[in-house]
Amino acid sequence: MTPRTPGTPGTPAAPVPLDLDKLFAARLHAARVRPYLATALFALHTVESRRVPTMAVDRHWRCYVSPAFVAATPVEELAGVWVHEISHLLRDHHGRGDRVARERGLTGPGERLRMNIAADCEINDDVFGEGLARPEGAVRPQTLGLPAGELMEDYLRQFRLGRHTESMAWLDCGSGADGLEREWDLGPDGAHGLSAQEQDAVRFRVAQGITGRPGDAPQGWQRWAEEAFHPPQAWRELLGAAIRSAASGPGTGQDYTYGRPSRRSAGVPGAVLPSLRRRPPRVTVIIDTSGSVSDAELGSALLEVAAISRSVGGRRDLVSVLSCDAAAGIAHPLCRAEGIPLVGGGGTDLRSGFARALRARPRPDVVVALTDGQTPWPAARPACRTVVGLFPRQHTRRSWREDDPDYVPDSPPAWARTVVIGSSSGPG
Amino acid sequence: MPVHAPFATPGTSAEPVDAHRQLDVAAELLALLRDTGTEPRPDAQLEALTLAVAADLPVILWGEPGIGKTAALTQLAASLDLPLTTVIASVHEPSDFSGLPIVGDDPAEQGVPMAPPDWAVRLVRAGRGLLFLDELSTAAPAVQAALLRLVLERRIGSLQLPPEVRIVAAANPRSSAADGWELSPPLANRFVHLQWAHDHEVVVRGLGGTWPRATLPRLSPGGLPQAVDFARRAVCGLLSARPALVHRLPSNEARRGGPWPSPRTWDMTLSLIAFATAAGSSRDVLSALVRGTVGDGPGLELLASLDRMDLPDPETLLADPARAALPERGDLRQAVLDGVVAAVRNRPTRPRWDAAWELLVRALETGAPDLVVVPATTLASLRQDDWDVPASIEKLAGVVSLSRRADRAAARTASAEQARR
Repeated sequence: MTPRTPGTPGTPAAPVPLDLDKLFAARLHAARVRPYLATALFALHTVESRRVPTMAVDRHWRCYVSPAFVAATPVEELAGVWVHEISHLLRDHHGRGDRVARERGLTGPGERLRMNIAADCEINDDVFGEGLARPEGAVRPQTLGLPAGELMEDYLRQFRLGRHTESMAWLDCGSGADGLEREWDLGPDGAHGLSAQEQDAVRFRVAQGITGRPGDAPQGWQRWAEEAFHPPQAWRELLGAAIRSAASGPGTGQDYTYGRPSRRSAGVPGAVLPSLRRRPPRVTVIIDTSGSVSDAELGSALLEVAAISRSVGGRRDLVSVLSCDAAAGIAHPLCRAEGIPLVGGGGTDLRSGFARALRARPRPDVVVALTDGQTPWPAARPACRTVVGLFPRQHTRRSWREDDPDYVPDSPPAWARTVVIGSSSGPG
Repeated sequence: MPVHAPFATPGTSAEPVDAHRQLDVAAELLALLRDTGTEPRPDAQLEALTLAVAADLPVILWGEPGIGKTAALTQLAASLDLPLTTVIASVHEPSDFSGLPIVGDDPAEQGVPMAPPDWAVRLVRAGRGLLFLDELSTAAPAVQAALLRLVLERRIGSLQLPPEVRIVAAANPRSSAADGWELSPPLANRFVHLQWAHDHEVVVRGLGGTWPRATLPRLSPGGLPQAVDFARRAVCGLLSARPALVHRLPSNEARRGGPWPSPRTWDMTLSLIAFATAAGSSRDVLSALVRGTVGDGPGLELLASLDRMDLPDPETLLADPARAALPERGDLRQAVLDGVVAAVRNRPTRPRWDAAWELLVRALETGAPDLVVVPATTLASLRQDDWDVPASIEKLAGVVSLSRRADRAAARTASAEQARR
């Protein structure tokens, strides 16, 4: 993973024996400074290989080590490489790489090299320091002029192979980093591999160790531990599911009723058959923002709500939007384009928005509130199904705590189904 | 295809007899296309489904349309020797499942009977079968409500399904369901949720002419009491240590409609562990079943505690250190060594202390040295004044130098970090 020894492997003059003591001393050092990773570090099976440029992992949790690389690298940097390689496996970079390749149609070794670089960026921005030395030449987002703290999938969109990545062209963390099989891989049938279930078990123990003592691990690892087994879902799907299930509940949508006999009854004398009845849902969207939400996010959320309510059988005239003043600038043009009636502005208090929505006759079946949550909520459950699309405040999770550690936002009440509307990308 | 009269184009070979022959040729081509072979291939998801069906638990398969859920059910029915009845839920009316009310001569006197549909009557008459409720998620809410009564109470109108009938449902995941439907938490809690995905390799090979033939698990009649005992120990062991896991409603939106832990699902898990053990299934199969019943977090905790149950008992190791078999995998080996040292700490006697040293030497000779450092340091700290250092400790000198080497690396890193500031 470092550009130290591009030429050394394969030099037949002096085959260096693998210095296992040095390698294991490095692992011990790594496990001491990163105790929460110890389980994963010890679960790796080491394989000596003279075809690997430096150190590489495969998707079965084997670690291939070049003896020449071990001989040339100091112990403290080897420890950094250990942690780096285990991070590829813990973060499932090969699985995510395969998924991204399928989704975006990326093929060929060049794209896999890009994945390896992007994955390295995701790991290297916060894994070193605090007693762990950064190996010389480790790729960081800064090397490529990219911001720190993003995910492999995001980095992958932001750079191309070119002059500034030339020095990384031989970079190779193995199939565990990007999903592409290497010629030195022992494959699924080789000895000492971990099955999918065993890998999950190790990941789980590491994640438990981190969430159990959150103070010890850096932000990046904490985020990983939170999401290791519950990757965040795209908010569009969650919002869609919430609105659909609210809009197709009893009393609305399309359903069977015995109120009027079915026309099929004539064919089955003596039997009483129900008929299908349609009552399209009325949806009211309340937009309440205090200006901290980006227009693009609000616009796409509003369009999403309109599209979903149409797909469940709602007509345009049954979707109405109630806007508070700050958001009127976005809501107006959108509603005009979509042919949705816009009910005039109200206060900045969400309670008045709810009151106004519920005063309408006939009453809405579903109220969707798009808000950043910095508002008082109605004290009692409103008489209709409620979905809250919550915009996180513009500050990210990270700076939020640093700015004001005591600050706790009002969370939406339990009677509303809450979907956090955030960035669409996530691991998995 | 445009139909043209054969006599309109004189001179060509198109004769009226040919039309008939064309179909024969087509039949020949179709026969060739259908002539595919099979090969044995382990299939974890099919094995999990088989075990859940054998354990008589309602299963729901989640999977995108068109990935072979029906084909899997056909294979399962054949292997269990059950006739398969497929009911596509979305083309039925609720009365097809709850029974059609038939108005008789004197409703006030005799009541209105609910007549079951013909497939249900045939199923009950046969006494056994596999009922597959397809497309559960695209049916109207009232149909779903009627179907759930069928799944949970096994009743269709006035008919009671015999116990030999097994039920499997299939649904599309929320993201791809056209008019999305999701299970409410109480309903989700009654199913074993299995994710159904296609295997790229299997599909390509199958289209090339060779479909997999899964070898399905067979329960071995000899080991049933042990299987039940093992399952009880596994579930009770975990739940007595972690009471919070017994009941936990899903709290966030992303986990809605999925499996979650409750006494009911733990009971289901217990049967599934017993079935998987009796069938000798792999951990991957068990993992799919357990996580599909109590959810990912509690499921993984259960699997982790099963791993610990598999590890050798520290007392056995201390009793006979010369013939101790330590696990090959580093993390498990370290867990065992830690367990041994903890056992000595709990009851410190001279012979136990010596036996532990012998075990550490053994571990050093058969595996990576860095695993031994922490247990050795802890064990050394347990020494009491009148205990002599055993001779075998000489062999651990390498461990000490390894530890020093790591210490030096740590010191260098620290000073380099300080210099940068």
